[in-house]
Amino acid sequence: MASTKMADDSAKLQILKDALYEEIRQHGSETRLFTQRDLLDLNIIPNNDLLLLVRVVQGLTDDKLLVGTTNHHAGLAWRWRSREEAKKYTSLPNDETVMVYSIIDEAGADGIWNRTIKNKLNMHEAVVKNCIKFLESKGYIASMKNVEHPNKKMYIKATLRPSERATGGPWFTDGELDTAFISELEGIVFEYIKTRSAYRSSQVQPTAFSSGGTAKPPKKGAVTADSTTARGTKRSATDISTDDTSAPARGGSAKSRHVFLPMPAGYRHYPTVAEIAKFIHDTGITNNTTLGEADIQQLVDVLTYDGLIEPVRVGRRRGYRVTRAMKQDTVPFQKRAKEREAGIGLDQPLAPGPEPLSNGLTEAPCGRCPVFELCEEGGPVSPSNCVYFLQWLDVEDLPKAVAPNVALPP
Amino acid sequence: MMLVTKPVAELCALLIDELHGELPSRIFATLLSKGRSTLPQLSQYTSMTLRQLRHGVAVLLQHNLLFYHLDPGTEFAFYEANAEHAYNLVRTGKILEMIDTSFGAPAKDVMQSLLLSGQTRISDLVAAYQDKIEQATKAGGIVGDEDDFGAETNGVNGDSHPAKNTGPQVKSTAHLNSIICRLVEAEVIDVVHPKTFESSHDVLKTVEKEAMDKHFPAGIKGNKAKIELQERIAEGLRKVRDECKSLKRKLEQNGSAAKRRKLFTGVGMTNGTYEEDIDPALDPKQVIRINYEKCLVDLRNRRLVQFATDIFGETTAYVYGVLLKLLTKDLPRCRSDPAMDVGEDKDDDDEKGRRSVTTDQILDNLKTSVDLSLGIGKAEKRQISSAAAEKVELYPPKKKVLIAEAEVDGEASPDEDEDDSDSSEESDYDSDYKAPTTNGVNGTHGTKVKFDESAAPKERRLDRPTQLRQHLLLLSESRQHFVRHCGPNEWTVDFVPLINALREAELDSVIERTSGRQGLRLVRILRAKGKLDEKALPNVALMRKPELQQKMLEMQTAGFVHVQEVPRDLKADVKKSFFLWFCDVDRSLNRLLDTSYKTMLHCMQVLEALRQKERDVLETTKRTDVRGREKDTMRKEYYERYSRFLECERKLFAQVMRLDDFVSVLRDF
Ligand code: SF4
Repeated sequence: MASTKMADDSAKLQILKDALYEEIRQHGSETRLFTQRDLLDLNIIPNNDLLLLVRVVQGLTDDKLLVGTTNHHAGLAWRWRSREEAKKYTSLPNDETVMVYSIIDEAGADGIWNRTIKNKLNMHEAVVKNCIKFLESKGYIASMKNVEHPNKKMYIKATLRPSERATGGPWFTDGELDTAFISELEGIVFEYIKTRSAYRSSQVQPTAFSSGGTAKPPKKGAVTADSTTARGTKRSATDISTDDTSAPARGGSAKSRHVFLPMPAGYRHYPTVAEIAKFIHDTGITNNTTLGEADIQQLVDVLTYDGLIEPVRVGRRRGYRVTRAMKQDTVPFQKRAKEREAGIGLDQPLAPGPEPLSNGLTEAPCGRCPVFELCEEGGPVSPSNCVYFLQWLDVEDLPKAVAPNVALPP
Repeated sequence: MMLVTKPVAELCALLIDELHGELPSRIFATLLSKGRSTLPQLSQYTSMTLRQLRHGVAVLLQHNLLFYHLDPGTEFAFYEANAEHAYNLVRTGKILEMIDTSFGAPAKDVMQSLLLSGQTRISDLVAAYQDKIEQATKAGGIVGDEDDFGAETNGVNGDSHPAKNTGPQVKSTAHLNSIICRLVEAEVIDVVHPKTFESSHDVLKTVEKEAMDKHFPAGIKGNKAKIELQERIAEGLRKVRDECKSLKRKLEQNGSAAKRRKLFTGVGMTNGTYEEDIDPALDPKQVIRINYEKCLVDLRNRRLVQFATDIFGETTAYVYGVLLKLLTKDLPRCRSDPAMDVGEDKDDDDEKGRRSVTTDQILDNLKTSVDLSLGIGKAEKRQISSAAAEKVELYPPKKKVLIAEAEVDGEASPDEDEDDSDSSEESDYDSDYKAPTTNGVNGTHGTKVKFDESAAPKERRLDRPTQLRQHLLLLSESRQHFVRHCGPNEWTVDFVPLINALREAELDSVIERTSGRQGLRLVRILRAKGKLDEKALPNVALMRKPELQQKMLEMQTAGFVHVQEVPRDLKADVKKSFFLWFCDVDRSLNRLLDTSYKTMLHCMQVLEALRQKERDVLETTKRTDVRGREKDTMRKEYYERYSRFLECERKLFAQVMRLDDFVSVLRDF
């Protein structure tokens, strides 16, 4: 009687629940919020029976298939949750675990700090710990690293991938800034800008460099072997010439030296960030990382701060060009890329660009002296007993002065 | 203005010691430390006799290294050290070299005489040269003048003896006359007048008093009067300053001066067959001296040319040098003096605005041997912005060059300023520049015809004026703003921002050399973004946090970056505070300036120590029978030690001068 009616009723309810749930799923993703109006308009609940709707929704919420939230635009609203997810919730042993799991769930791809869990839920630390241990053992959550807070113990739902903010974006690998990747890419971007913002001239320059090429005749094998030691560091003038002569395109004319020259004013093809991004994309260097224009911009900015390139505006186009064009290395990048394919020089960071300028201060030993502040005539360290200067003047064979406790600079 | 810190004081004293001996050096050092003093006071401080002191003071005065001031009715004059001039001694070599290249070896010889003897009466200078010329003719033109003039300065100047085997540089008094005139007209020499010996402070006081007595006998009332007084004072100061230029003015008024100048620039300095006498305008009693202010203008030009070489290359820098020389011909000093030039600025604002050089003027002054096609890359016409193409022709707007492009390029030029940093409109731009019509549009201006003719499709051969313009436009397009294209075919230089760029470049190279490229990166980020929280830095710099933190600390110690602690709350718990990094370029530069002085001092002290060590050898070389024939007369081992010492000396002086290059940029240009 009453019980059959109840059973009847609950069966009916179950049908309605299933129908409503399926219909909701048809109408949007897991993030969509459904208001009461939306739910009624699905036309599942007969006669727009509000009371019935409340009961059905309550049932679904109890089954963890719907999640209620208060949204300040729409008021009370719900979003759906997949059945597997819901099953996880319902399989949890107690309320505390449910609460912990749901707060981690809510944190989404950014993850959440275990201290935050504790504070938000106002639970005892040991309880939280137990819950986390349980959830981890079930494989429902995983610990993660957040680059912004490398020392905080963070948790994330095991099914999610940490967000860019948490991983640090494309420049991070396993929560660590991937400096090797960055500097390789910097080298490529720099090379691209260099060759497209300066004119490669083969004018015979009246400089001392022109003889360098003949001093070391190019040998195909020798060059690569040489480069293992010479690569990565600044190349001397002779290195440049030998590299140059061995470049296949240059053939036999070893006498003239290539230089980069600045482009005439108003040049309109200085590469833009968009072009650089496209180039990087087309080369496929970044195989499994996708770099957007903003990422490339970041890289270009770093090169700008390094003083290697500078922005130029011509008309409404903002491009980038290399600074001090004439001082740039003319070794084509393809050659280096080839070496890299052959596995040579991979361990060397690329150091693009010419040597920095120098001046009177950087040349004198005092400019780099570790004891500069202490040094004074009459003091323990003084110019008259300075070993750095003797070294600089190349007169070390003069009797060493009385400052043996001063270590020589490396 | 130079701040006399302890290293500066020591450096000045050592420089004076180097050039003028120990006695003047000691007096100078005492004056620096004790402030202005009378002879009796000095005698008390130094326990020297009055006779010694008078001698030393005379030497110092002769070389303009002292100020003196005699209050009416008092017995003793006050003396005060002129540290600025003492520091200038370091520039001696550079100035001589500069005179050598711009005015020729004979002019350098005259300058050198002036440097050695200090301020000199024209008649004395003439007499000295007459002696030399006579001697030289007697000796058949073999004997140089090294005993009198070459040897002593050799050290500080850092240049080896010039090869003088063809007799004296100055051939006749007429030759000397014309050299002096040229140098005076170029303002590198000016005349000494009584006020020259007063410190700027004393001059100001006198001028102030005069102005008060003359215009405001009843005292100052109200703001208007105050301003007027300021103007009167500035005017008075300018009058004092201009007295130095009296000789130049006289020469300029004198018709023969112009004629003579023409003769000289036209014919060159090949030999001295001029049979003119000393110019009547050159009063033999007049005392002349070297004008360091003007020399600095030329030194600044050289430095800027060097800067341009670093950035563009030699050909462009050469063009720039010619431009600078023309532009600064009548520029008396690098920086205007705020106390004097305020009023003046207002008066001839237009005058200053018009201080520019035309392309033709530059063209007329370029060496014909210089190939202007070098140093700039080639681009096809369509690769050059149509606006820039217009610039290569005749009428760029009277604004900064880059702005000019907006007007041609943009249908949408009004929003030009707003899309400053975005590249979103590129596509639209692309279509714009691929359309060949833009060139056509430009071609309708009459003056373009010339360009079109020479523009053969691919490899166009540009004529020389166009090549020159390419260099000039390149200079004006630069970020450092080497040149401003200020009118149709007119070019000028805004020195203040340019020198600031140069200073920043100097600072940057010090940073990069000492803290590496990543250090430079961090500093420049801060410079661009202002104050930044430490947490924000790694993301911009793409550096790992620990490395970055270490770099920042290292650079903080070096004075390249500074940190500010911002407490999070009232309790100011350090652990919770924000740390904001920033960089203050001026502060960093000031610190480098101090470091430079100290380094210069160290170089000199190292030299002293070496001298001490090689005392015995150096004693020997002083003997008259050894001097000049060191190689033959000294024992081999001694000679080797001697030449090694000379090498060190040369290196150290060269370094001091390199350091001065740096100081000049930071302080004087
Ligand atoms: S110890 Fe030598 S290098 Fe260091 S500051 Fe003193 S003089 Fe200069």
